[in-house]
Amino acid sequence: MNKNKHLLLWSSVGVFLLLVVAAWSENSNKEWRRIQKSASNAEGALDIHLRQVVNTNLNSADRCVSCHAGMAPGESELKGHAILAAHKPVVHQPADYGCTICHGGQGRATDKADAHGDVHFWPQPMLPMKYSNAGCGTCHTPLNVPNSDKLASAQQAFERLDCLACHRVGGRGGTLRPGGGGLEGPDLSNVGFKGYDIAWYDKHLAKATAVTEGPWKASFGAIDDVQRQALTTWLNTRVGSSKLVEAKAAFHSVGCMGCHKVSGVGGDAGPDLSRAGEKDPGLLDFKAVPGERNLSNWLKEHFRSPVATVPGSQMPAMGLSEAQIDLLTMYVLSLRRRDLPGSFLPKDRVQVLRFGAREFATDGATIFSAICAGCHGADGKGRRYPGTQAFPSIAGQDFLSLATDEFITETIQQGRPGRKMPGWANEAGLKPEEIQKVVAYLRQLGGNTATKPETTAPRWVKGDANVGQRLFAANCAGCHGAKGEGGEGPALNNKILLATATDTFLIETIKAGRRGTAMQGFESPSPTRAALAARELESIVSFIRTWETKK
Amino acid sequence: MSTPITQEHAALQTFRENLLAAPRRLLDATFRSGKPTTDRTRSTFVFGNVFLHLHAVRTHRWNLRWTTTMGLGIASTAAFLITLITGVLLMFYYKPYPDAAYDSIKDIHFVVPTGRFIRNIHRWAANVMVVAVLLHMARTFYTGAYRKPREFNWLIGMGLLVTTLGLSFTGYLLPWDQLAYWAITIGANIAQSPREVTDALNLTDNFDPGGFQRLLLLGSDVVGDEALIRFYLLHVMILPLALVMLMAVHFWRIRKDGGMVRPVDADQRLAPRSGETYPVFTEAPQKTYQLAAIVKGKTGVVGRGPENTVPSMPHLFYAELAVLMLTVLICVALSLVSDAPLKELANPAVPENPAKAPWYFLGLQEMVAFSAFMGGIGIPGIVLVGLGLIPFLDREEKGTGDWFGGPGGWPLVRRTIPFGFGIAILIEAYVIRFGWLREWFPSIPQLVITLINPGTLLTLAYALYSVWLVRRHNSTRAGALGLFTCFLCGFIVLTIIGTYFRGPNWVFYWSPADWPKH
Repeated sequence: MNKNKHLLLWSSVGVFLLLVVAAWSENSNKEWRRIQKSASNAEGALDIHLRQVVNTNLNSADRCVSCHAGMAPGESELKGHAILAAHKPVVHQPADYGCTICHGGQGRATDKADAHGDVHFWPQPMLPMKYSNAGCGTCHTPLNVPNSDKLASAQQAFERLDCLACHRVGGRGGTLRPGGGGLEGPDLSNVGFKGYDIAWYDKHLAKATAVTEGPWKASFGAIDDVQRQALTTWLNTRVGSSKLVEAKAAFHSVGCMGCHKVSGVGGDAGPDLSRAGEKDPGLLDFKAVPGERNLSNWLKEHFRSPVATVPGSQMPAMGLSEAQIDLLTMYVLSLRRRDLPGSFLPKDRVQVLRFGAREFATDGATIFSAICAGCHGADGKGRRYPGTQAFPSIAGQDFLSLATDEFITETIQQGRPGRKMPGWANEAGLKPEEIQKVVAYLRQLGGNTATKPETTAPRWVKGDANVGQRLFAANCAGCHGAKGEGGEGPALNNKILLATATDTFLIETIKAGRRGTAMQGFESPSPTRAALAARELESIVSFIRTWETKK
Repeated sequence: MSTPITQEHAALQTFRENLLAAPRRLLDATFRSGKPTTDRTRSTFVFGNVFLHLHAVRTHRWNLRWTTTMGLGIASTAAFLITLITGVLLMFYYKPYPDAAYDSIKDIHFVVPTGRFIRNIHRWAANVMVVAVLLHMARTFYTGAYRKPREFNWLIGMGLLVTTLGLSFTGYLLPWDQLAYWAITIGANIAQSPREVTDALNLTDNFDPGGFQRLLLLGSDVVGDEALIRFYLLHVMILPLALVMLMAVHFWRIRKDGGMVRPVDADQRLAPRSGETYPVFTEAPQKTYQLAAIVKGKTGVVGRGPENTVPSMPHLFYAELAVLMLTVLICVALSLVSDAPLKELANPAVPENPAKAPWYFLGLQEMVAFSAFMGGIGIPGIVLVGLGLIPFLDREEKGTGDWFGGPGGWPLVRRTIPFGFGIAILIEAYVIRFGWLREWFPSIPQLVITLINPGTLLTLAYALYSVWLVRRHNSTRAGALGLFTCFLCGFIVLTIIGTYFRGPNWVFYWSPADWPKH
């Protein structure tokens, strides 16, 4: 019995000791306790207890401030560990909003690895510091963002006109009034969100002309229309996070929305990206992704080589620069919309959700680069990706001189069924006035080529379709396919094309060809074939027209 | 109205006295037998208590030797109690719905105070329970404790083994991570494996027990929310209730079958009693306290002189508590050292490779790799039937109560161990090196492989060996000793190979470091 007694005694003592160890490591042996122990504020040593920011509206209880105690409600200026530093000044006070709403991660956890989400298979890790501005996308979405070129020229205008002499933007510029009274001009860092007086220019000018000397006289003068437009663009995009705006501008520069939807606008060929920043890394395939297993690395590799990262992906490698990939990664990470209580929705998000406001600037150049450039190229000269059909050039003079505005508008509205080109006259597409801007921009891209007015009726050709069939097989089928299904050249048996294109348009296209593409002009002979006569051209058009009625 | 005032006072007086006496009486009512300071009060205490009365009032000294049982039965029970308590705690946070399930386990792991610790203990206690139950069965077998009159209890014990494995297996799915999802997919496919035979016989369209079993298990064609709710219900309700009931019968049968098994000459072999044990209070030589008309069989105490028994309280209870605490100690220590696994959310589109079942099924999975039906159902079925038949085939009495008792004894077992390990390793090595029928004759009918595969050959070799032992020693017990030892060895070999040496596509690798990189 004594042996059993001893066994009972010692195993009980062992269990007790282990439980003491477990309790100690669960409670006392916490990193945040050690950190708080090392801290001190103006009143002396810090009171050691679990700190948290609770926000019932956001359904968050963020204990991050147990370690980052300098960011806890009511704390400031803690001495000690670097981790105790206060948050840099931001619009949203961490003490009110908590941490995870912007930075991601695990608010309730109290160990570094758990809280930051550096645990294998944790679905919502923190955003990397480099991309922390993507966190704004949890609630906000910058509106009216132009493409990168326009944003850059807007920035240049702002700098060149030396607005920073009086105004402050993002911590730069601004002059303090001599003798106190704040800045000469208001801080413009958030005017894009808060709104500003549309008549600012007239008021500025009136003030500048009213005085005879002083800063107003010396530093403000008339600004031309182009520059003022650039300034408007600039002001509209000052929404706190200039980095996020820059990232979004990059997204609006490479035509992603031709295939992808964001907030309900865009094409259908690729997945909807509205919440792509919330992807769970645990569900992604990291076989082809070098470096750390996180979403930003996966996204970057995906931009470099979509097929290698997602087997079977239809997305072509876009040939993006590393700088662009960096910006696009940041933007996609910002697509992490959270379901917020209605009262918490910021007005930019409300504008998009309830009033259909555009997230992209609605000038022709931005719409073209945000939607069309992916396939038709930034210059409109068409693109060809490995393994895909060539996308047609739409900014060439030959095309634009033949295609009327109505033709182009119709094509944009209806798309080309059977090809990648979707129709844009729908809910997820563009408004009529936006399409008009794209058409106008196309003309501008093509060197302002005007259309030759057509005097003939839309359908005047009466050729022999049988002759046309023979000629088509000999001259056209090589590129356009024996049944006009398309190949190297675009499909011709497309109902929408045939309905929209007039006979003159077709005849003239065959005659003159399209410079800059494989389409030759058949009006003149080439070393391999004779020129086509007018009757022959007409018979080809008649043959093409037979597809209009066929299935 | 004239109430007699004195009487009213008397009632109040009594009320006051009763009130004052209430605490003392509460104690008396709770501990009805008074302080357990004498043998007599201890005995009343034991049989007056619903939990303690499972024990005999007095325990034979033989049973208290550590080597008699190694405390494995108590360890199994203790492990079950630990899983029961921690399991109930986990139920406070667990939500049995696919995506919510995974998130709630994440919450338990990362957020809930002590959640990770509790989950670790639950997981380790479950593993300890499986090991303890297996070892307990081995102890029962090697000491011949299944023999008459304990045949029925041996069968109950087998039911407990199957229920234990079922509990552990159903718990495996609940975290709803990749590990769980694919392990259960394998389990469900094993349930479907009779199709291998019905397919070969072209019967599946009309007669599909495999498909039915799988459907019964999953409630659907795929591992989905139906399967999860089924496994949850099995894990927290049906199987625990079944286990508790079987345990009650198991314990009760121990007493009805004459207590713990011990050799007939146990009294002579025990060392003379020391001072701490003293004779039973009545040393009546002709004591027969059985109800002869109702209880059949003889009790071990009839017609013997001074008994070698000691009061269960405290002697037996100290031993049991010691084992209980030791089990707790082991589970808690392991939980502090090693976390229960949790992988990414279950994803039906991305199979784990290799997808492995829980470790105690990896021996089966190793055989399933050759033939799903034989490995998953055929051979385990044969083993279970064989185990169930043992007490009815071995009717001998020699060696009961002794480790490796019976003809052949320890030398037989000692010689069998190298044979059991050797032939299992040999067959595995041959298959790993040279392949099997499918590699040599790609068009061979599956039925041939179902019948002739490394698993069946191994079983056959073990069976032939034990038949030879039966003839050589002219004893069924000798054959049973050999066969049981062989299967134990085979189980260990296959489980180790399945656990440590199988990589993607169930290919043999010396170490996971050699697995092909993606």
